[in-house]
Amino acid sequence: MAVAEALAAAGLVAILAGAVGAAMGCSLRASLTPQSAGAALLGLAGLWVLVSGERVGAGFHSVLRPAFGIDPLSGFFLVLIAAVGAPAAVFARDALTDGAQGRSLALATGFFLLVLVGFVCARDPSTLLGLWELMTLVPAGAILVARQDREARHGVFVYLAITHIGGAGVWVAVLVLAGHGALGGHALGGGMAVFVACMSLLGFCTKAGLMPLHSWLPRAHPLAPAHISALMSGVMIKLALYGLVRVLFDWLAPPGLWVGIVLIATGWLSCLGGVLYALMQHDLKRLLAFHSIENVGIVALGLGASLVFRDVGESTWSAIAFAAALLHALNHALFKGLLFLGAGAFAKAVGGLELDRLGGLLRRMPWTGATFALGAIAISGLPPLNGFVSEWLTLQSLLHLGVGPHLGVSMVGALATAGLAASAALAVYCFVKVIGLVLLGLPRREECAEAREVPIGMRASMAFLAAACVLLGVLPGLLIPALASLGPEHATLGSSPGVNVPGTGSLPTLSITVVLTLLVALLARLAGVRRTAVSPTWICGQLTPAGLAWTSAGFTKPLRLVLGGLLRPRRDARVLASAGVTQAVAYRAEVPHLFDTLLYEPLSRRALRAAAVARRLQSGSLRAYLGYLLALLALLLALARLELLG
Amino acid sequence: MNVQNVIAGVVQVAGGVLGGPAIMGLIQHLKARMQGRRGPSILQPYRELARLWGKSGVMPEPHTVVYAVAPAVSAGGTLMALALLPVAGRAPDWGLGHDALVLVGLLALGRFAVTLAAWDTGGAFSLMSAARELMFSVFVEGLLLLVLLLLALPLQSTDLISMSHAASLSWVWLRPAHWAAALAFCLVILAETGRQPVDNPDTHLELTMVHEGPLLEYAGRDLAYLQWAAAARHWIVLVLACQLVIPHPGPFAAQLAVLAGGLIALSVALALCETVQAKMRVLRVPQLLGLGCALCLLGLASWFGGGGG
Repeated sequence: MAVAEALAAAGLVAILAGAVGAAMGCSLRASLTPQSAGAALLGLAGLWVLVSGERVGAGFHSVLRPAFGIDPLSGFFLVLIAAVGAPAAVFARDALTDGAQGRSLALATGFFLLVLVGFVCARDPSTLLGLWELMTLVPAGAILVARQDREARHGVFVYLAITHIGGAGVWVAVLVLAGHGALGGHALGGGMAVFVACMSLLGFCTKAGLMPLHSWLPRAHPLAPAHISALMSGVMIKLALYGLVRVLFDWLAPPGLWVGIVLIATGWLSCLGGVLYALMQHDLKRLLAFHSIENVGIVALGLGASLVFRDVGESTWSAIAFAAALLHALNHALFKGLLFLGAGAFAKAVGGLELDRLGGLLRRMPWTGATFALGAIAISGLPPLNGFVSEWLTLQSLLHLGVGPHLGVSMVGALATAGLAASAALAVYCFVKVIGLVLLGLPRREECAEAREVPIGMRASMAFLAAACVLLGVLPGLLIPALASLGPEHATLGSSPGVNVPGTGSLPTLSITVVLTLLVALLARLAGVRRTAVSPTWICGQLTPAGLAWTSAGFTKPLRLVLGGLLRPRRDARVLASAGVTQAVAYRAEVPHLFDTLLYEPLSRRALRAAAVARRLQSGSLRAYLGYLLALLALLLALARLELLG
Repeated sequence: MNVQNVIAGVVQVAGGVLGGPAIMGLIQHLKARMQGRRGPSILQPYRELARLWGKSGVMPEPHTVVYAVAPAVSAGGTLMALALLPVAGRAPDWGLGHDALVLVGLLALGRFAVTLAAWDTGGAFSLMSAARELMFSVFVEGLLLLVLLLLALPLQSTDLISMSHAASLSWVWLRPAHWAAALAFCLVILAETGRQPVDNPDTHLELTMVHEGPLLEYAGRDLAYLQWAAAARHWIVLVLACQLVIPHPGPFAAQLAVLAGGLIALSVALALCETVQAKMRVLRVPQLLGLGCALCLLGLASWFGGGGG
């Protein structure tokens, strides 16, 4: 117990010292190194609590008296924060430029880390809600420090607007729960539970970026500096799911099957929608941001399955699905953090991140390229890395939902299984495109041909995350029983290096990795002993000019054609001809984001129109305002007279 | 470990390594006969592999390590998938488990490696085909998982050996769900093996290729690996069909005979399908696979509507 407390205290002090150092004008190295060490210490404290199962500090209570503490679930999320936070801080050391802006960002990084840690350790409604708001505001501040252009300001505005409107749900839910003493007391049940469940779904799903409440995410995440993007995509949106877990699993009595089904439905939509739109993007960071929607969707599928299993009385599967969701949250934090840091490294080396204007970077930047590729393989859910393990577990949970004894639940499970399988294949499609356009082929731009490998600190942080992806791919069994015991049913799973779950053919990750590596190495060796000739790529005997290289849009064309009715791509080709001779062709093609054009834009237009109507009330005439006051007073008196006011 | 497991292991590995090309050869031979030609011998794929094995490789300029190891990854993943397959309802314990979804993951790994190699060469033809193959895979994987779900219904397990036991129960054939799964699995076979009407394995016309496209640049042993992997995928999918869908009651020897008979029957069916069926438009394939998905959902509904165990 003392160990975890000491580690956590030391970690907090270190992060605080680093942040203060940045504010006082120390160098980036002097301010970010302690932050990284502090994050690591906090992660160790969390791991200690998770493994030993002991609680540190206060427990939850509904009184508005600030309190902090760590229980195993918080411990797990501390590990998640540290797994991204520590390497992100090291990355920022070399990625940021020394100066006033760099130091402000270092300060923001430290502050952001503290807020994230504080949110998972908060033990009463006041700190929980206060830190929840800060968690939204701090990255917004960081974005505005890093970029002052119009696009960034608009993106931040949309981000703050949507997360605050949605975030109101969190306030309502937490305050109602606190009002009923449900935090740390008896779980809330009855009709109020339904209301709280709705409000918390609205609030937390907005912040988690689940479709259709995701519209802010692909705008805000690409704007931030790489390490802040990594923290936002890897950690911040997961903490919204942490809040959801607290409310739905701990503080509410089981409100019924529908909550699980709603979560599965939003998860399903986010999975498929997120990866489909990711596939159609032309900017690397925007693509990664859309892809985060897919991954929180997978986590939501796991959580939803866990709730449904709990309601139909399958306690073991409820625990397995819960473990799958948490494991995928951690895995996604690792590989999405890695990919965002990689994107930052590429941006530092070559400037812009437009996918069609990169290429050939694996040869120029072998370390960054290799770790980035590893992250891409992991996120595609391919064996033997960690993404496969958590997607396998989630798929198994959904599939077993499908073979269950109730028709309705079974249909939901079947649809979710097919959806997740299709989205896994889409993720492969997406990251084949990303690796191909960024790392392979010929450089498509001068800067790419002369790119230099980034400094050691950035490479080391990416290598750390890549190693973590491999480790969790090979030995997930070390973590899974602990995660399953955090679930609603406290089921115990046998511990093994791999994953051994009843009703499956088991996933012995260690032996699969070893055998696969050996087989591939042996076959590569057998093929490699022959002499090979070098020749240009064959394209009907012609040489291809660089301008004709295959593009992102070209590679996704088959899918765009097949799903044309769904995606509604727009294209606009204008031929400028004079005297019958074509002079120039102007071509534009885009896949509009239908949630924006069909949902958010009409909504905001109506809101503006309503605001214009409401503005008429504000005439500026003193008499009118006195009239309003008088009318209000009369109304209140009338209500009091009728005894309608409490 | 008893004798039957040893035999199953031998069939698994030797059959997988050698049986795939034989199935390819058989289909080619039968197809030629049905079209009124004499056609190549059944052993032709072996001769091709032997010829390629003796040749030197070609490395396009530019290439990276991705292009160089892609054939080994594809072949290695397929080789490992062989060890997961049940043969005549049993399989030795290689320590790799026998999970259906792991098998799906290994097949996806091979697809990933090959399509990535297409990007490495940057050739337009390879990339066009790679994009089509990945587009198909989105629908195929969704359908495949639904089929596996239906086949997992009787014993509620995705363990391939239990699923194979489920198919050996005679009562599953009284369930419409199993019939739906069988029909949908036929579509999976066509798509996963790249046979007509989904893809034409014989064509080398660049504009219509799907699976063959990314293989264009390869030569020598690398090409041998990739061709073997394509052949072994035939073996994997057809053995799965025989084990999970076709009923195979009785003792071990009878089950082995059913397996051999099933493989031959399915090869004949594929050859027949290739003869009478033209290749369909690439954009129509997802509709066909979507039909399979609808069939699976109907099958699932029938399981609960009185057709269930």
